[in-house]
Amino acid sequence: MRLQEGAIHEAGLSENLGAGVRVVVGESAGYAYTEELSEERLLEAAARAAAIARLTAEGSSHADRLEPLERSRDALYDRTRTENAAPAHLAALLERAEIAARAGDARIVGVNAHVVDELQELWIARSDGSFRFDRRPMVTLGVQCIARTGQERGTGYCADGGRTSIAFFESTTPEELARESARIAVVNLEARPAPAGEFETLLGAGGGGVLLHEAVGHGLEGDFNRRGVSLYSGRIGERVASDSVTIYDDGDIPEERGSASFDDEGTPCGHTVLVERGILRGYMHDELNARLMGMRSTGNGRRQSFRHLPQPRMCNTYMPPGNANLDEMIASIDRGIYAKSFAGGQVDIGKGDFVFMIAEGYLIERGRLGAAVKNATIVGNGPDAMTKVTAVGNDARLARRHYTCGKGGQYVPVGVGMPSLKISAMSLGGTDSARG
Amino acid sequence: MAAGASDAEARIVVARRFSAQARGERITKLDVSDGRSLSMRLFLGGRKATLTGTHWSDEEIRSGVTSALEQARYIGVDAIAGLPDSCALPDLDLDLYDTAVEKRTDEARLEDARCLERSIRASDPRIDNSNGSNYQDACVTMALANSRGLLGSYRGTQLAISTSPVASEGAYKRTAHYGNASRFLSRLDAPERVAREAVRRTVVFCGATKPPTQSTAILFDREVAAAVLDDLFAACNAANVAVGNSWLADRIGERIGSELLDIVDDGTIPGALGSSPFDAEGVPSQRTTVFERGVLRSFLFDTYYARRLGARSTGNASGGGVGPNTFFLAPGKRTPEELIAATTRGILVLETIGFATEHASGLYSRGARGIAIRDGELAESIEEFTIAAPFPEILAGIDAVANDLIFDGSMASPSFRVAEMQVSGSPSAP
Repeated sequence: MRLQEGAIHEAGLSENLGAGVRVVVGESAGYAYTEELSEERLLEAAARAAAIARLTAEGSSHADRLEPLERSRDALYDRTRTENAAPAHLAALLERAEIAARAGDARIVGVNAHVVDELQELWIARSDGSFRFDRRPMVTLGVQCIARTGQERGTGYCADGGRTSIAFFESTTPEELARESARIAVVNLEARPAPAGEFETLLGAGGGGVLLHEAVGHGLEGDFNRRGVSLYSGRIGERVASDSVTIYDDGDIPEERGSASFDDEGTPCGHTVLVERGILRGYMHDELNARLMGMRSTGNGRRQSFRHLPQPRMCNTYMPPGNANLDEMIASIDRGIYAKSFAGGQVDIGKGDFVFMIAEGYLIERGRLGAAVKNATIVGNGPDAMTKVTAVGNDARLARRHYTCGKGGQYVPVGVGMPSLKISAMSLGGTDSARG
Repeated sequence: MAAGASDAEARIVVARRFSAQARGERITKLDVSDGRSLSMRLFLGGRKATLTGTHWSDEEIRSGVTSALEQARYIGVDAIAGLPDSCALPDLDLDLYDTAVEKRTDEARLEDARCLERSIRASDPRIDNSNGSNYQDACVTMALANSRGLLGSYRGTQLAISTSPVASEGAYKRTAHYGNASRFLSRLDAPERVAREAVRRTVVFCGATKPPTQSTAILFDREVAAAVLDDLFAACNAANVAVGNSWLADRIGERIGSELLDIVDDGTIPGALGSSPFDAEGVPSQRTTVFERGVLRSFLFDTYYARRLGARSTGNASGGGVGPNTFFLAPGKRTPEELIAATTRGILVLETIGFATEHASGLYSRGARGIAIRDGELAESIEEFTIAAPFPEILAGIDAVANDLIFDGSMASPSFRVAEMQVSGSPSAP
């Protein structure tokens, strides 16, 4: 449901039902799906996928065996809910968000809010005879505010939710999200152009985890490493970051967006150590890439829907806390940038160059927080940035739950988290050369 | 209508898609599927609800419509929400369907993917791996009907090939992704040619360095130029304009860009990927001048936002929003090579990464890769820098446009040069 300019503007209902059949031979996969669940159509899809697999896998003579499944873990979220929230309830949440967003500041000229309540039911049947069922809930409430004075505009966005029910917004209220969104919009309205050049950079706790996701996480996904196209290929056991850097990927954190009872191939989602005290420890795997590398699936085989093939994907990627205090980290920077939150990012797997877009950022001058800077891009190189980590905060937390990751045309929900992190030099893509 | 709607519209898209990936000697992925999607818009006295999904039986549709209308009760009444006024569809043959696509054999399709893969490895010894080479095609039929008597359909074909070669440089893997798309098999670039271009774009960055922070001329290569237009489109999108989420709001008639800025959205270019006889709500496609010699002339509308802003729909309704047909910058006369030769100092940008965080402030900031230009010649390749400028300064700063426009997607642009943008890289030499 979507609210725009003071009124519920649109309500949409989407129901999708279908089945996909994947046949794997060697490193090749044949895939076909149907949106009609008759026996005839299912057999047709299966026959097509098998024919495709035979066509693709010239030279391989037998289908590969699957790893046996472990017992599924205890529920990480409510798997019993079968009904979506009442439309009246959703409408009330949006209206509360709208009122709160406009209440704080007369410069807020536009408010858009949306709320989504989703239930996904999936059945996985595998050729080893195993059969799995899961029911995965997901709720999201997002508020975008636009602040304006004359021709100057600033935007703010804040969203939260997770694998839970709409009751989540009783503790994390629409008012809280709306006020935060409005606050960021006004900060950006008053912000000055960002400087250009290299700066000592402090990344904010929580949402700063986008850095881990882009700069390191994607490069550790099994498909890129099996093909040898990642800069981390063949480097397990090697130092890839400074001592203070440890990174995990967990699919078993209750109610996080990237969590699931088991991944989309039926493997339980677990705790994967990616980097430990700067040493590369492991990759994230689905069945196919794990088998081809002589490893085991880490429960990272994920897919957008029955229309898509599973790929190795991150679940919830985060860094545990260090010892540094945020105020002391700010005080230690003579001239730098505090990138408090991010709107998203992107990475080149082979070289490790990444960008992320600052949603809220400030100058640091002589150890003090200064003026806000307008949305700018930070560019860096993953491995390089990871060796330049000079302090890790004691304030580790998971970000608000609203991140979605795109890879190979498929979008899946993920979680990120991080303590505040100090990096000795990163390039800030601002427009103000005088300060650079 | 039986469920109580005052107006209704149904749109069905049926697509047969073929998608294959080759890597090394093998076909590694093959996906053949018949996809169908139904989307309905239901109006209930000024309230709008949508229904999308895989409902096909009468019973499924009836129950879906009932649930969607139940939601509509909570929507604010908006007198202008509704179907387009006119239900006359044009009788227009835009040459969108190539029977050669549906007649292609699987073997011919797979051979294109294999050929890309062979060609990238053969064309340069530094290419020692690949992220895979892809072939895709689709035969798509779109049908639209509404309760005012509109009924129309059209079909189209699409083909695309792309490849992603990898060159090792120590621990780093150099990679680029390059491809070509068309509605016609005969107009699709040969796999060998696409492979050569992909390889050129990969190996050119071997040994690339980080440039100093500076302010300089930026020459946007054709593909990244189209990505810049994509960001500009968001500001011309009436759905953003209406809610103040556009730096172009309230500026119709103002001079925004240089004399060279002529931008058009056109849904009627024969054979183009962005063309269709009518849009997602049945409004005939048209040609709309958005910028004329730098002056903002029009935003792009669907029926709802046109009514909101007192304009007429420009035929830009796309499923659920306002989208481009072919949104393009008019080409100039010189070749891209002549533009390089005419640039004393600057950067040819070949790739950008990142995306717009917002369209309200109009600030542009992206990560980039490219080649330095000195005295009209391409010099060293450079990377790990950003380019940034306020959007109005980019448009006003366009001082040269090349002639290399190709309609290979909904966003199309020739290469163009911006006189000056801020580059952020390594600390400048003192």
